[in-house]
Amino acid sequence: MHNSVLLTDSTDAVIDRAVAHLDGWRVERRPSPQLAAAIGTVEETRAVYVCTNDPTLLRATVERAHAASIAVVVECDDEAVRRRAIELRAEEWVMRGANETEITARIHAALTRAVPSAAGMTDRVERVEYERMLHDSRTGLPTLPVMIERSRQRFKERGELVVLYFNFVRYSKIEEIYGWEKLDAVLETTAAAVKEFLDDSSPNPARLMVSFMNDDDFIFFHVPATGVPAASDGEITEMVSRLQRHVATRIESIHGDEIAALFDIYVGRAHVYYNPKIRLERLIYRGIREAAQAARGIEERERARKVADLRSSLRDRGVYVDYHPIVHADTEEIFGYEALARGVMRSLRSPEVMFEVAEEADLIWELSRLCRQRALEGLDTYLRPGELLFINVDPHDFTDPVFGEKEVSDPKRVVLEITERTAIKDYPKFRERLRAFREMGYRFAVDDAGSGYAGLGSIANLEPDFIKLDISLISAIDTNFIKQNLVETMVKFANDHGAMVIAEGVERAEEFLTVGNLGVHLVQGFFLHKPAHATAPQHTPGEQRVAPLRAVTKTA
Amino acid sequence: MAAAGKKAKLPPILVVDDNRDNADIIRQYLEIRGYPITVAHSGEEALALFETVKPALVLLDVMMPGRDGWEVCRVMKQHPQLGKQVRVIMVTALNELDDKREALQTGADDYVEKPFDLATLAATVQRNLAMQRTALAS
Repeated sequence: MHNSVLLTDSTDAVIDRAVAHLDGWRVERRPSPQLAAAIGTVEETRAVYVCTNDPTLLRATVERAHAASIAVVVECDDEAVRRRAIELRAEEWVMRGANETEITARIHAALTRAVPSAAGMTDRVERVEYERMLHDSRTGLPTLPVMIERSRQRFKERGELVVLYFNFVRYSKIEEIYGWEKLDAVLETTAAAVKEFLDDSSPNPARLMVSFMNDDDFIFFHVPATGVPAASDGEITEMVSRLQRHVATRIESIHGDEIAALFDIYVGRAHVYYNPKIRLERLIYRGIREAAQAARGIEERERARKVADLRSSLRDRGVYVDYHPIVHADTEEIFGYEALARGVMRSLRSPEVMFEVAEEADLIWELSRLCRQRALEGLDTYLRPGELLFINVDPHDFTDPVFGEKEVSDPKRVVLEITERTAIKDYPKFRERLRAFREMGYRFAVDDAGSGYAGLGSIANLEPDFIKLDISLISAIDTNFIKQNLVETMVKFANDHGAMVIAEGVERAEEFLTVGNLGVHLVQGFFLHKPAHATAPQHTPGEQRVAPLRAVTKTA
Repeated sequence: MAAAGKKAKLPPILVVDDNRDNADIIRQYLEIRGYPITVAHSGEEALALFETVKPALVLLDVMMPGRDGWEVCRVMKQHPQLGKQVRVIMVTALNELDDKREALQTGADDYVEKPFDLATLAATVQRNLAMQRTALAS
């Protein structure tokens, strides 16, 4: 930084001492009335230090400086001048009598802040938007048009291009269950893992480029370098499976096995050959479409295989149940368990995947029956007397004629968790069925409350005994006051209606403390317990529990 | 406390409101408490100032012509560097469940209902900055 000038109307020697701290700076002095005019004439002016108390002169100086994109520090005699300085958007201000260090610091700060002129502002917004169009802000990956431009030259020279289309199938499911914040985080992990993989595995990283489709799919371009043959199908398949493993490991280690179980990639590929008669962009877009279709074809084959897996699981009763404890928020004593059905077959491990497949194959009732039977087996073998069993039911299940008939010896110990992810079509009939179940002794919980599916209105409609708050409301609730307010509202509503609130997905101590303070009655989550297999009988009293915690006192 | 000294070094706040009177009242009230305040009178202006001011906290009016508060909040929260730290408080005339959901969707951290009294506003600002400090510390 050489030959920079600080222009000032101050005669105080402290200015000289302050500027001495700045490398390559000198001071130019002008009387206050001439200060504004000097801004355009004194060359190398990079900052203005103005101390006049005259509002008109101050305004003229600041405006002139800003028109020239020069930073201004205002020395303020009193509160009024300070206000004026802020009103005029001077970059910085100091109170009169400040020492040289302070003044140097203010000049520094003003320089870094120097606001571009008013015209520059709209440019800046446009630039930010423009950049957003070029790079996805979550993943940092370039968007498709950028990638096409970058590969254009190479593609022309080489004459061929391989497009790989990565379809991350259940990312939308992650968003639906855990909320958009989670999907954002998973996408960040995915993109980082993909970049890492490319850096490690490709000897010439420029050969392989990746772009993000803004939803949940990724596209890779592979342009072989000159003189190198294009990757063979075998090589691509091998690379894809390595990438898949790499991303899956990353997701599992960062986001846990629940999310990893939802993870599946189907990769389609297309070979595009350069043709000077056809526009290059169109060639590439067609290649992408072809690759996407290929990915879909693979997905369909996979699904057919999964349906076959499901059929054999149903035949062999290949479903087991994990029991996830629900505890009192204050005493941490076990109140009951939620039964979580899992497929024995690896491809059907995740209940979301299992039910998704069952829905496609019209096997929902059968799968639900099996899961219910499995869950209810634990009522006498796993649970202790007095503990409640929460089982998930879909509104569809109520149309199953077998449901509820002699399935349970003691319905009073069973809570049916209803989610509204499946829309309830015939509300009056549904409520009639609910009433019949209630008369048998069953209790009800509204699942995923606050997720956007179940508003307070529909909660009131179901007259639940329990309200289970959606995981997206609980995650990071300790730092988000809107979530806290929503939960508080729910708790108040529950207290007014004689229901209890369950916070699901409590993973951190801070979340646990926060929901306790908000008056939530019951808590479920990895922070206290992980879901456990039913193979071993339940712990005996006095056994040490996971993660002992200090007691929480309720304030609400 | 009235004589706001520079020494305290409170974090910068961006106040966004298309109503100049409202913005002025908020600005004066918070300035007296020593916060460096920058005012923007539209969503566009707020976004333009965002990178230069680098606010620790944004008080964002929801109902504005042009880019409304929701959109501004979304864009700010997506900023690659500043988005993760900035606390956004929505200033809204509505206190409906759906609005809070919308607020969560955009990534807002807190909200103040209009009409608010200034003490509530200051308390909201303080608790959000305190939250930010603990978040940054951990």
